[in-house]
Amino acid sequence: MSSTFIEIDHVDRIFPLPNGDRYIALKNIELKINQGEFISLIGHSGCGKSTLLNMISGLDKPTFGGVILEGREIEGPGPDRMVVFQNYSLLPWLTVRKNIALAVNRVFAHLPKSEREQVVEDSIDLVGLRRAANKLPGQLSGGMKQRVAIARALAIRPKVLLLDEPFGALDALTRGNLQERLMEIVQESNVTCIMVTHDVDEALLLSDRVVMLTTGPEAHIGQILEVPIPRPRHRLEVVNHPSYYSLRSEMVYFLNQQKRSNKMGKVGQATTVKAGHGLEKINLNIGFIPLTDCAPLVVAKEKGFFAEYGLSEVNLVREPSWKAIAEGVTSGRLDAAQMVAGMPLHLTMGLGGMPVPIINALVMSRNGNAVTFAKKFAEEGVTHLLQLKDYLGETPDKVHTFGIVHPASMQNLLLRYWLAAGGVDPDQDVTLTRIPPAQMVANLKAGNIDGYCVGEPWNSRAVYENSGDVITTSLDIWDGHPEKVLGVREDWVKQYPETHLALVKALLRACEYCDDRRHREEILGLLCRPEYVGSEQVYTSPGFLTPYERGAGREPELILRYNQFFTNQSTCPSRSEALWILTQLARWGYTDFPRNWLEIIERVRRPDLYGEACRQLGWQDVEPDRQTLKLFDGMVFTPDDPLGYIQRFNIHRNPKVSEIYLDVSPDSLSQST
Amino acid sequence: MASSTAGIRPRRKNNPLSFLYAKNVIRPLVAIAILLIIWQIICSGATPNLPSPLTVIKETWNPLIINPFFDNGGTDKGLGLQIFASLTRVAVGFSLAAVVGISLGILVGSSRLMYDALDPIFQVLRTIPPLAWLPIALAALRESEPSAIFVIFITSIWPIIINTTVGVQQVPQDYRNVSRVLKLTKLEYFFNILFPAAVPYIFTGLRIGIGLSWLAIVAAEMLVGGVGIGFFIWDAYNSSRMSEIILALIYVGLVGLLLDRFVAFISSILVPSEQK
Repeated sequence: MSSTFIEIDHVDRIFPLPNGDRYIALKNIELKINQGEFISLIGHSGCGKSTLLNMISGLDKPTFGGVILEGREIEGPGPDRMVVFQNYSLLPWLTVRKNIALAVNRVFAHLPKSEREQVVEDSIDLVGLRRAANKLPGQLSGGMKQRVAIARALAIRPKVLLLDEPFGALDALTRGNLQERLMEIVQESNVTCIMVTHDVDEALLLSDRVVMLTTGPEAHIGQILEVPIPRPRHRLEVVNHPSYYSLRSEMVYFLNQQKRSNKMGKVGQATTVKAGHGLEKINLNIGFIPLTDCAPLVVAKEKGFFAEYGLSEVNLVREPSWKAIAEGVTSGRLDAAQMVAGMPLHLTMGLGGMPVPIINALVMSRNGNAVTFAKKFAEEGVTHLLQLKDYLGETPDKVHTFGIVHPASMQNLLLRYWLAAGGVDPDQDVTLTRIPPAQMVANLKAGNIDGYCVGEPWNSRAVYENSGDVITTSLDIWDGHPEKVLGVREDWVKQYPETHLALVKALLRACEYCDDRRHREEILGLLCRPEYVGSEQVYTSPGFLTPYERGAGREPELILRYNQFFTNQSTCPSRSEALWILTQLARWGYTDFPRNWLEIIERVRRPDLYGEACRQLGWQDVEPDRQTLKLFDGMVFTPDDPLGYIQRFNIHRNPKVSEIYLDVSPDSLSQST
Repeated sequence: MASSTAGIRPRRKNNPLSFLYAKNVIRPLVAIAILLIIWQIICSGATPNLPSPLTVIKETWNPLIINPFFDNGGTDKGLGLQIFASLTRVAVGFSLAAVVGISLGILVGSSRLMYDALDPIFQVLRTIPPLAWLPIALAALRESEPSAIFVIFITSIWPIIINTTVGVQQVPQDYRNVSRVLKLTKLEYFFNILFPAAVPYIFTGLRIGIGLSWLAIVAAEMLVGGVGIGFFIWDAYNSSRMSEIILALIYVGLVGLLLDRFVAFISSILVPSEQK
C-alpha cells in the first residue's frame, strides 16, 4: 500500500435541491489506487459514477473529504488528469490536428515549436488517423472522434487518464478495436486509468480492479473485484480464462441485486421534517438485558436524553434472555431493543423462524466481553488458549460444556473463533449451550458448565466470587468488535421514521455521555439499581470504572476501552462488520452464505440513517473505512472476498452459497393480519 | 410504384432548361404569374388609383429599368445608384452595430454582473421603434446623414447583442470542461472556445439585424432626404409617380432578400456543420 497514487479519501457529494432539501449522491467513498492501475467504476445509471470521476478530474468538488494525487489534494482540474469525455468534446471548429495541438501547445508551452508539432503528429499516428488529420470532427465517424479524443488525452502525457463511458456510443466492432488499442497504449505508457462504464465485459477486459457502486441515494462502494487475468489481454481470449465467467456473473448479480433493492426503496428516511418534536410515537417499550453495556439505554432514560428528543414516555423493559428480546421485537411487544450484534441479521434472514427484517442504525457498545473458565482449569494449569487443546486431548472421555448467550451474539462467534484458532473445534471437541447471561455464574458454580463467554458483570462476578477465572477478554480477540446494537423492526421504522431518528439521536447523546469517564461513577450507581442490572458495585465496577480483574492471581489491569460506547466512531454500524458476522454464521453452519449478502447488509445495517441522526445533532457523520479486519490470529478479512475468508480457516463447516429471500410474499402477510 | 412512373415520364435529362421544371422554381413562378394577372385585372379600369403591371413597365422602362446607373445630378439618379447610396449607409451603420454589438454581447454574456445590470435596459431599448430614435439623433447630431446611420445602428444592434449574449452563455459545458482541464488562459479560451462556440448565435443576430436595418433605412431616408431609395420613393409619391414607387418597392424587396442571403452564406462558410 506504499505505492498509493490516488487516494479518494472519504468523499461525500451532496447536491442542494431547489426545495431546500439535499440529495446525498455519494457517501463515504474510500478508495486507494496504485500507479499504472486500471480501475473501472460500474453501477446503475445515476449512481454517481460520473460524479466521482468528475471529482477526481477536479471538475467537481467533494462536499466532504478529498481526492489526493501523489500526496497532494486535488484543488481543480488540470492536464495531469486528462479526461476522455463521454461525448468526445472535440471542438467542432478545429481540425483533428488542431484539436490535439490546442492541448499540446498549452501543456508543452515550454517546448520548441518543432517538438510540439512532433508530439501532435506522433499522437495522430498512435491512433491511426493520419488520413483524417485535416478533417473537422463533423466529418468523422463516432469511432474516429473517440480516437481523436484519446489521442488528445494521451498527447499531453497525463498521469491519470479518466474515461467517462468512452465507448458507450460506438458499435460493437469499433468498440472492440478501440478497447484493444486503448489497452496497448495504456500498457506502453503505464498511465493510471479510471474508467466509468456500465458494460460488464468492457470492465472485465480492461481493468485490474472493478469497483462496483451501489445505487444512490448515498451511493457507496458495494464491492471491489480483482480481475486476475494476466496481461496482455485480448478481447477474444479473456473469455477463456477460468475465472472470467464467475467474475462476470458476480458483476451481473451485483447489478441485478442493486436494481432489486432500488425498487424496494429505502425505508426509514423521514420524508417530511415536522416542526419541533412532531414525533409519530412517544411512548416506547425498549427491551434490554441486565448487563453493564445496557448503560446507554439507562443513561438516556435517567439523564433525560429520551425526553430531550421528544420521547417522553420510554419504558425500559428488562428481559430475561436474548430469545425473549427477539420474540418481543418480532411480535411487536417491544418497539425497540438492545440486541446482540448479529441478531438483526439473524432475524432478518429468518434463522430463528419467519424472516422479520430488522433495521440496525446504531452500535451502542463495543468490547466488554470475556471468556471465563471454571477454577479447575487454572488448577490443571490451563491458563492459555494453546494449553486448552492439549488438556482436552488428555480428557477425551469428558464432555466440556461452555455457555453462550445467543447463536448470533458476538460472545458465541468470538468464543468459537477463539477456540478454533486454538485448534479446538467448537462443535466436536466441546459442547456449547445456550444460557441467559444472568444465569451463567450460577450454572458455573453448579458445575453444569465449564466456562462461558458473556458480557459484564458476569465475568467479574465469577472472579469476585472466586468461582472462575477470566482466560481472555474479547478485546484480546478483536479489539473494538461491535457488541450491543439497536434493533428495530423495518415496518416499525417505516411507520415511525421520525421516532426512530429521535431514538437514535437520544442514544447517540447517551453513548457520548457514557464514554466520558467522569460520568462513569454516576452511571455505575444507576446500573446497580435493582430495576436495571441489580448487581453489586464491587463486581460491576471492574473494567467499567476500575482496573479489570482476571483472577488467578493476575494483577488488575486498567483497560480504558473495556467498555467502549462512543470514541473512535464506535457508534457507526459499519457494513463490513456485518459481513464478518455473516461469514462466521456461515462458517459454523447456522446458515448458508447468502449470495445476496450485499442486499441483506444494505437493508439491515443503516449507516445512512445513522448519518442523518448525526447531522441532525450537528455532528459530523464520519463513517469508518470499508476496511480489512484482522483478529488476534492475524487472519485478514477483506470485505471483497467473504467466501475465501471462510475457506482459509482450518476449522469450518462447508457453507453452501445460496440466495436468501428476505421478504415473505405479500399475500401471506395480508392473511396473517 | 416509383419505378413505374419514372418509366412513363419523358426524360428531360438533356434539356438545358430542365431546372425550370424543378418544383421549387416552377411553383413560385406560377404563383407570381397569377398574382400579376389578378393585379392587371383589378387595375385595368379607366382611371385606376394604382397602375397595372403593364403600365408600370411602360412608364418606367426608360430610363429607370434599362439604365439603373444614370446620373443627372442632385437626387435625380438611377435606381442602382439610389440603392447603392442606401446600402452604403446600411453598411456603415450595420458594421458599427456588429462591432459594438458583438463586443457588448460577449461582455454581457460572460459576466453575470454585467448581465444583471444591463440586460433589463436592453430589453426596454430594443422595443423602441427605429424611427422614434430619429428626432433624438437629429437633435444630437444636427445633420441628416449621421442621423440616418445612427438609426440603422440603433435598430440592428439589439438582436446582435442579445444573440451574442445567449451564444456566450450557452457555450456547451463540455467545451468549458475541456478548457478547464487543459487550463487554457483567458485569451486562449476566448479565441479557441468562447468565440467560435458563439459564432452561430452571432450570425443569427446579424441576420436579424441586417433585415431590421434594411427596414429602417427606407423609413429613415424618407424623413432625412438626400440620395437613397427611401427618399426616391417619397419623392416619387410627392410627384404622383406611382409606377416608380412600385418599381422601387420591388428593388427594395429583392435587395433585402439578397442581404439576408448574403449573411447566411457567410455564416455557412464560417460555421462548421456539427455546430448547426
